Amino acid sequence: MTEAKKLDKEQVKQAVKRRKQVTYAPVQPEEQLGFVHNNVDCIGCRACEIACKDKNGLAAGPRFRRVQYIEGGTYPEVYAYKVNMSCNHCAEPACLPTCPTGAIWKRADNGVVDIDSTLCIGCRRCEAACPFGAPQFDPSDGLVKKCNMCIDELEAGRKPYCVMACMMRVLDIGPIDEIRSGEYDTKAIGPGEETTRRVKGLANPDLTNPSIAFIPHSKGKVD
Amino acid sequence: MSDKLKWLADSLNMNRRNFLKTTAVGAATTGLVTAKKDAEAFAYEPYPKDDELETVVTSCAHNCGSRHALIAHKKGDVIVRLSTDDGRFQKDGYFGKDTEEEPQLRGCLRGRSYRSRIYSQERLLYPMIRVGARGEGKFKRASWDEALDLVAGKMLDIKMKYGPTALLDQSYAGASWGVFHKSDQIAGLLGRFLGLFGCRTNSWSVPSYQGTVFSSTQTFGSIEDGNEDDAYAYSKLIIMWGWNPAYTFHGGNTFYYMRLAKQRGCKFVLIDPQYTDAASAYDAWWIPIRPNTDAAMLAGMAHYIFANNWQDQLFINKFVQGMDQGTMPEWGKGGESFKDYIMGFSDGIAKTPEWAAEICGVPAEDIKKLAKMYALTKPAALKASWAPGRNAYGEQYNRMAAALQAMTGNIGKLGGCAEGIGKGWHAEGSALPEDPYSNIYAQAIKSDRWAHCVLNFPNLKREEIGLWPRQDPTDGLPPLIKGIFWQGSNWFNQLTNINKEIKAINNLELVVCNDSTITPSGLYADVLLPVATHFERHDVALPWYKGHYYIHRPKVIEPMGESKTDWQIYTELAYRLGFGPVYNPRAKRDYFHYNDATDEEYLRYWWESKVMAHQHVEMSWDEFKHYGIYKFKMDKPHVAFEDQIKKGKPFKTPSGKIEILSTPLATTPDFAKTQFGYYIPPIPKWIEPWEWLGHQKAVKYPFHMITPHPRWRTHSIFNNIPWLRETYEQEITINASDAKKRGIKTGDTIEAWNDRGKIVLPAYVTERCMPGVVVVHEGSWLDLDENGVDRSGNPDFLTDDNPSPAGAFAYNTILVDFKKSDLDHRPGWDKLATSRSHVYRRDSDM
Ligand code: SF4
Ligand code: SF4
Ligand code: SF4
Repeated sequence: MTEAKKLDKEQVKQAVKRRKQVTYAPVQPEEQLGFVHNNVDCIGCRACEIACKDKNGLAAGPRFRRVQYIEGGTYPEVYAYKVNMSCNHCAEPACLPTCPTGAIWKRADNGVVDIDSTLCIGCRRCEAACPFGAPQFDPSDGLVKKCNMCIDELEAGRKPYCVMACMMRVLDIGPIDEIRSGEYDTKAIGPGEETTRRVKGLANPDLTNPSIAFIPHSKGKVD
Repeated sequence: MSDKLKWLADSLNMNRRNFLKTTAVGAATTGLVTAKKDAEAFAYEPYPKDDELETVVTSCAHNCGSRHALIAHKKGDVIVRLSTDDGRFQKDGYFGKDTEEEPQLRGCLRGRSYRSRIYSQERLLYPMIRVGARGEGKFKRASWDEALDLVAGKMLDIKMKYGPTALLDQSYAGASWGVFHKSDQIAGLLGRFLGLFGCRTNSWSVPSYQGTVFSSTQTFGSIEDGNEDDAYAYSKLIIMWGWNPAYTFHGGNTFYYMRLAKQRGCKFVLIDPQYTDAASAYDAWWIPIRPNTDAAMLAGMAHYIFANNWQDQLFINKFVQGMDQGTMPEWGKGGESFKDYIMGFSDGIAKTPEWAAEICGVPAEDIKKLAKMYALTKPAALKASWAPGRNAYGEQYNRMAAALQAMTGNIGKLGGCAEGIGKGWHAEGSALPEDPYSNIYAQAIKSDRWAHCVLNFPNLKREEIGLWPRQDPTDGLPPLIKGIFWQGSNWFNQLTNINKEIKAINNLELVVCNDSTITPSGLYADVLLPVATHFERHDVALPWYKGHYYIHRPKVIEPMGESKTDWQIYTELAYRLGFGPVYNPRAKRDYFHYNDATDEEYLRYWWESKVMAHQHVEMSWDEFKHYGIYKFKMDKPHVAFEDQIKKGKPFKTPSGKIEILSTPLATTPDFAKTQFGYYIPPIPKWIEPWEWLGHQKAVKYPFHMITPHPRWRTHSIFNNIPWLRETYEQEITINASDAKKRGIKTGDTIEAWNDRGKIVLPAYVTERCMPGVVVVHEGSWLDLDENGVDRSGNPDFLTDDNPSPAGAFAYNTILVDFKKSDLDHRPGWDKLATSRSHVYRRDSDM
């Protein structure tokens, strides 16, 4: 870690003010973008993970995108599936209000939650607050980092690296309402498949209202 | 939706053809996105965005079995990041184009990690000469002159002293499957170099799939038994026999077409000791099977099909030799047909499902159920993968599977399958000089017998080393091997029974390793020659087994350090040894320093005289270079042997038929004089392997170990990449009930051993593996302790260097025992500290 960071006081003041405004009344984006992942058809190859590391120039350590391998049953009646998550760009982000410098902010146009690195002091409070493990400390520069939905790619009119990496075309982004209602045209959702907000083993979505939908495995369905 | 969000909606609309205009390579992203400012903050500025960087289309280049696009985004001479095909880099392409006919060629996790490989700590940047003992890892930096003079001088010495067999060619496909820079056993640059020099022993058996090569050659007369990957979308049933398309990728999109098949109602079955990720993704019926018993299970299925008369008799009568008495050739009338063997007419043992169940551990009911499914579902693909063939008598499994493919009439039909090898559509694949010098050799041996040959010379029988027959007086003379050359090859780490190799290598007088990184093999070399990666030289990529496309592979950055291409190195050596102009006919004497124009000349000639002339390609070379990817559009998916079945074209076998009864095998008088060395039956049979769970040896070593190909490495390539290390551990997979009996939990350190060696690695305890079987993935970089125990967990310390008669490596024929251990596993590579070359980085102006 380098020597203590010098922050612009005025900038911090503005950021903290912004944070206070949205702590109890989260930003309502014009359209919330979110991820969709097919837990069954995903082969667990982690091309998406490596694409993300390369895109974001991360060394070994922080993993913005994490493909979890879930397995169960008793030989020979076994099952397995994958749950793939990065940051869920939640409607009510738990990380945001914890930030003492107001570095975390949610975009008003697309709902992407981002960390302003010029303000982050690496205190790691957001890391503790997030129920999904999205913000991660990078010891190489003492900052907390996380997925920003490849905002530069979005703004260039493309999709995030992880989505464009998916060998099976089971990971996608789109307006989360349209993904949930089934109107959104995406290869991630197969014919006749329906999405769910929640799969077994994950934090309760009511906590933060994450912008993610899954095609669940039969064994991963919650009631 | 508000207008303000229209840019985004447009960007998410994958069908917008005008996307190319606004987001094309290098173009400013105006148009759709003018309303947006640049992103305000990134977590880690300064942050170069893709559109501020230069874009270069290239691809992966090693022996994974597939080939995917990599798009380099670079600044100056430094690659900042890689992405993959997104639909833009072809004619009529646009961002998001991803159709069933022209799917995107998206790279896997290994391909996506290439940047960290190019710039890795293990990159070899200078010629190095060994100063310590072999394997000790002590080298000193040398000049090219010094290194090349040393190699050339020793080559002349050795040839003079020991004759034309003294240098062993262990080139392999690890470096460069392209049309021009080839590392390969048969048509590679090293073979051409040593052959022209007049001192070469060749290694003829292919580690991954020699059993399958043998089977396809005997049965169909060709290894081009593969459909293109899009054909999978048409199957109603896909039987993945020992095949895990979630780990090993053949064809750009096989795994994806199988997903389409699933969506269209195809059913999947997996025969494998492990419940793989492919089984879960395709929701397959998992049939766990004892390793090495696949031929027996297939025989049981054949019996049930014959007994119920479900075979496609019309197909058999028309296209098959030796399936039954009715299809026996004149010369074989009255001899044993496949059906005679299966029904027990010839040997009195009916190969019933119950007989098979005893051997393979699969309940007879399941064998019957699967046989019925396969016989009655049309079309059905039995994909007989390579892994179960990497066994003692592995070729029998492949031949047996071909017999089932034939008896159900699933050959030459869309949705069926004759694989096998799986080599699909035939592409123009070589820009090498066209002359007879590509594969000259004095002797050729089974690849995994080199150590045996070196240690036992001259007291050797030809069959022990699988000596290839010759038509001259040197036929049958074992080679006197005194040196090894490696190109694109980490064979020392990858062949069987490494401890035997370690003994043998000290008998050698010259070991030369060309590679772009230091490898475990490199540690045993005398001279390390640094090779430019495929990002640092000009070539064209084509898919290895399947897939109908070419990817241009320009020089993306200048070669790092003092590295040179293999072509440059061998050309320069050839000049010093006196045959430069023959070796590289287009090159001038200064090729070692100026190769770009010559390489371009070879490639352009190839494109114009081969691709354009033979493959109905109208795109010019320059246009191809501009787009980066050329995707062929086929009228219909390519299906192997369709012409034979639909148009009556003969198979390339002696009889012109599918030879379940092999003419060459049936007419071989003396197998000792063939490259096989030992008897191989003319029809497929179950032959008991020399190690398996049903063997006496299982009393001492009660677990059968299999050693599949991992997905986080390609064999041993990428073992040193930290990004990939985060995705896996080199572990031993143990069934939960077996682990419980020994008090072992996931994460415990285990030692596994047999008479050949011992390895140390962590345990992964799971219900997804069959009891009695343990799994260790091949390819970890060997790391020996002072007692010769491998702490990296490389299973080839336990494998046997005794190959199957047909040449199949017996990688999966291992019995072992294991227990909890106090020894430490070393996931990294401790030797790095001494062997790593001084790392050289160019400055960037970023
Ligand atoms: S959107 Fe970008 S930053 Fe987020 S997980 Fe995907 S690749 Fe990583
Ligand atoms: S790239 Fe796609 S298939 Fe592979 S792990 Fe990620 S989501 Fe799954
Ligand atoms: S499958 Fe092979 S060619 Fe494709 S990206 Fe992976 S390693 Fe490269």
